[in-house]
Amino acid sequence: MPVSAHPRASAACSVLALTFALAACSTSTEPEAPQIDWASMSQDELVTMARAEGSVSVYAFTSRIASIEESFEAAYPGIDVMATDISSTELITRLASEHRAGSATADVAYVSDAPVVVTELLADGVLESYVPKRVSESLPEEFQQPLVANRLSTKVLMYNEEANPDGPPVDNLWALTDPEWSGRVMMVDPNVRGDYLDLVTEMSLRADDMAQAYQDHFGREVELDDGVEDAGLQFITDLYDNDAILVDDTDTVNSSVGARGQANPPVGFTTYSDRRDNEDEGWALQVAADVAPSPGIVFPAMLGITAEAKNPAAARLLVDYMMGDNSETGGPGFEPFYVAGDYPTRDDVVAPTDALSLGDLGAWRIDPEASAERRAQVADYLLTIQ
Amino acid sequence: MKALPRTKTVRRPIHALAAAVIVVLVILVAAPLAGLVTRTLDADADGVWSQVFASPLSENLLWRPLGNSLLVGLGVGALATVFGAFLAWVVVMSDIPGKRVIGVLATVPFALPSFAIALAWESVFRNERIGGTPGLLSSVGISVPDDLSWGLVPTVLVLTAHYYSLSFVIVSAALLGIGGDLVAAAELTGASRLRVATRIVLPAVSPAILSGFLLAFAEGVSNFAVPALLGLPVRFQTLSTRLYGAISTGDAVRGYALSIVLVVVAGMVLWAGNRATKRRSYATITGKASGIRTVRTGAWRWPLFAMAALLVTLTAIVPGLVLAVSTLLRRTNSFDGGFTLHYWLGESDSAIAQGMRGVLRDPIALDATKSTILLGLLVAVGAALIGLLGAYVVRHLIRPRILGSTIGFLSYVPFLIPGVAFGAAFIALFGAPIGPLPSLYGTFAILVVAGVAASLPFAFQTSKAALGQVSNELEEAAVLTGAGGPRRFARITTPLVSRGVVGGSVLVFVTMVRDLSLVVLLVTPATPLLATMTYRYASEGFTQHANAITLVIAVISVAATILARRLTRAQPTGIPS
Repeated sequence: MPVSAHPRASAACSVLALTFALAACSTSTEPEAPQIDWASMSQDELVTMARAEGSVSVYAFTSRIASIEESFEAAYPGIDVMATDISSTELITRLASEHRAGSATADVAYVSDAPVVVTELLADGVLESYVPKRVSESLPEEFQQPLVANRLSTKVLMYNEEANPDGPPVDNLWALTDPEWSGRVMMVDPNVRGDYLDLVTEMSLRADDMAQAYQDHFGREVELDDGVEDAGLQFITDLYDNDAILVDDTDTVNSSVGARGQANPPVGFTTYSDRRDNEDEGWALQVAADVAPSPGIVFPAMLGITAEAKNPAAARLLVDYMMGDNSETGGPGFEPFYVAGDYPTRDDVVAPTDALSLGDLGAWRIDPEASAERRAQVADYLLTIQ
Repeated sequence: MKALPRTKTVRRPIHALAAAVIVVLVILVAAPLAGLVTRTLDADADGVWSQVFASPLSENLLWRPLGNSLLVGLGVGALATVFGAFLAWVVVMSDIPGKRVIGVLATVPFALPSFAIALAWESVFRNERIGGTPGLLSSVGISVPDDLSWGLVPTVLVLTAHYYSLSFVIVSAALLGIGGDLVAAAELTGASRLRVATRIVLPAVSPAILSGFLLAFAEGVSNFAVPALLGLPVRFQTLSTRLYGAISTGDAVRGYALSIVLVVVAGMVLWAGNRATKRRSYATITGKASGIRTVRTGAWRWPLFAMAALLVTLTAIVPGLVLAVSTLLRRTNSFDGGFTLHYWLGESDSAIAQGMRGVLRDPIALDATKSTILLGLLVAVGAALIGLLGAYVVRHLIRPRILGSTIGFLSYVPFLIPGVAFGAAFIALFGAPIGPLPSLYGTFAILVVAGVAASLPFAFQTSKAALGQVSNELEEAAVLTGAGGPRRFARITTPLVSRGVVGGSVLVFVTMVRDLSLVVLLVTPATPLLATMTYRYASEGFTQHANAITLVIAVISVAATILARRLTRAQPTGIPS
């Protein structure tokens, strides 16, 4: 796409870039390198600059980054990818510490835990957003902010379809607070893992939906206990009271809920795409999609550029690559993430057909910024109802 | 040595040495610790201390987890010391058969990851509480109460099974240092066997017993994996699960505050332990040690053997086998799918583990093995040196006493600083160039430095225990002959404590090759480590691959242990005459 086609857009971007440059100057005494107008740069120019840089370092929360390293290096010979895979928590701490010490070694971050990214990294300007122009039109606005997201993952209610051949054993989340589900609902402790805290936070943010579902299930209006702020938190309170079983990782939920040969298996909140291991592991995991008000959450995996990236062009080229090409499956740059039960963010990439569509799944889409504001209070509340 | 006129010449180099040790400890331990404290006090910490100590959250955030942590720590400390000391005595001093094999096996549990032992526990005792595949007992119809499957009891027992190796290594080094002639002399005076045991052997090894207890306590309260795995299903929380939970849900500052609480609690335990053994001399090494005098156990020979064999079977062989078998199972932790070598040797096959090839076909496996061993060796040597010098200073520095206590404290607490916080502190310290020195961050060197810092407790405590046995008279005699400080240290102290120091170095080596959390923020793709490979596999749910690498790590650790024993056996003990 020639630059001149959108003179206004690129002018706007230049103003933006200037603003950023001024902001940067005001906090730093070092002379600034001339600002580059990434948004108006053509793909060829970007590739040329990236080649000149010759390498790019990426921190990623998934080991699937190794196959990106391989395919990117094949697609752009001469640009060496150095991939470090560490957990999201450690990744965030590492980036923040490097930023404070002024010794960034990463150019790109591929990171989950979106609400923590908002509070720990974006607030301090550790990461910057880059939306490749190529995909900006096929990428809904919500996945361009606060950082560009390339896919969505899930934490949803799953059940054992071998023991329940006629479909989900519950049709409403509130059923899990009934005596018959005592000690038979599993989740990872939301005070131990961030994505499960996001799940509970979302229940609180969607308190109206939770209240309506209560009405549907019990036929009366929800009554909040003393000190309980909303219907979402009332649900988790009742669930804990019903001897919900907390564990320390998703694999335990999968094998407990999914293992075949169980007469009375529990249900649990876990990752929809883990269903791909059903055959391999002898599981019968299935999603309880129609459960009211929602089976759980979908949340983004995000790509950001570090503020002090030493290879800014190669960094942007890698982000561009990981957003996928224009084929239906997103091509090699998206291939490791093209998994049934995960969802591409681009509306021109067709989600794998072996899983429900995002619409049919009916999971809540978290808003990282709203979640960031609420989740600390939710975490504190959960501590009081152990 | 109060009356000796040479006291001054002894002291001056000690002060210089003390200063040097303090400087190193301030950089490696105090600075990261101060960084933690600062983070909990600065503006965006948002009143974290009042939240922790005086808010509606305090009970579930601090007090109950703290109580549980103390139960776990004291339970593990006590049981690990009893089991470790018992095995050490059996292996070193008794006449039971198969001593050598038992001696090697007693060091294996520490080389295994704690989760492997927890897994072994679960494979027997897991009940129906969390669904899935039940353990052995449940599957044959024996109902297992929750208290035995989950919570305090299994957490303490599993951690004890993991950490008694510490006491074993330290106490057996101490027992080897007791001269057989001492025991023989006592027996000649008509002392009964019990009297020899309580008056000579026990006092001689009590510095070692204290060190073993302190290490097991600190490891017990800081371990996260086991209480998380076995405690959470019954909402059994410890400070470690709370602090890692806080960090991983994005409230790092709260996690740091809890880890400072742990550091303070551990400091108090250290103080109490030292006080209990203060002002007594445990010196038994007074010169060239004669060979070990074996105790005839008579009718007790076979019962003792049975107990020792049972202990190492349950804690080393069974978990080791569980781990090994788990790498051969087609399906994760389940016999349904049959056995396969795929996870070791297989080429990529899209039907298995999403096409992940076997670990031995991973191109970085060999590199990772090499750099892991190199890192382990360098850290072991570095930590041993600092630990020995630190312990030497603490023993010989009479005044000011606060200096000795500071060294002791700083050398004890690194376990209790979460790996992530340690890493962040080292990035802050070494991330930027210091004067003419280039930034260490991103190099292999910073891994070594951080590793030394994190594993100092092993080196310091083992050296301290070993030095506690060496009589001051030896040095005083050397002073009379005009030997200088460094010469005395090299020719007298070092050979006498070598067994203990080597034992400590092995513990350091094993921790370094096994534990990722120490260096996770500092590794780069240029220095692949086996532990990072384990993480990579485990994080994507490739359990068999991860366990295979873990087994490789365990084999390396055990090989190192055996090698070190050969080394110390070949060395002359006592002073060259």
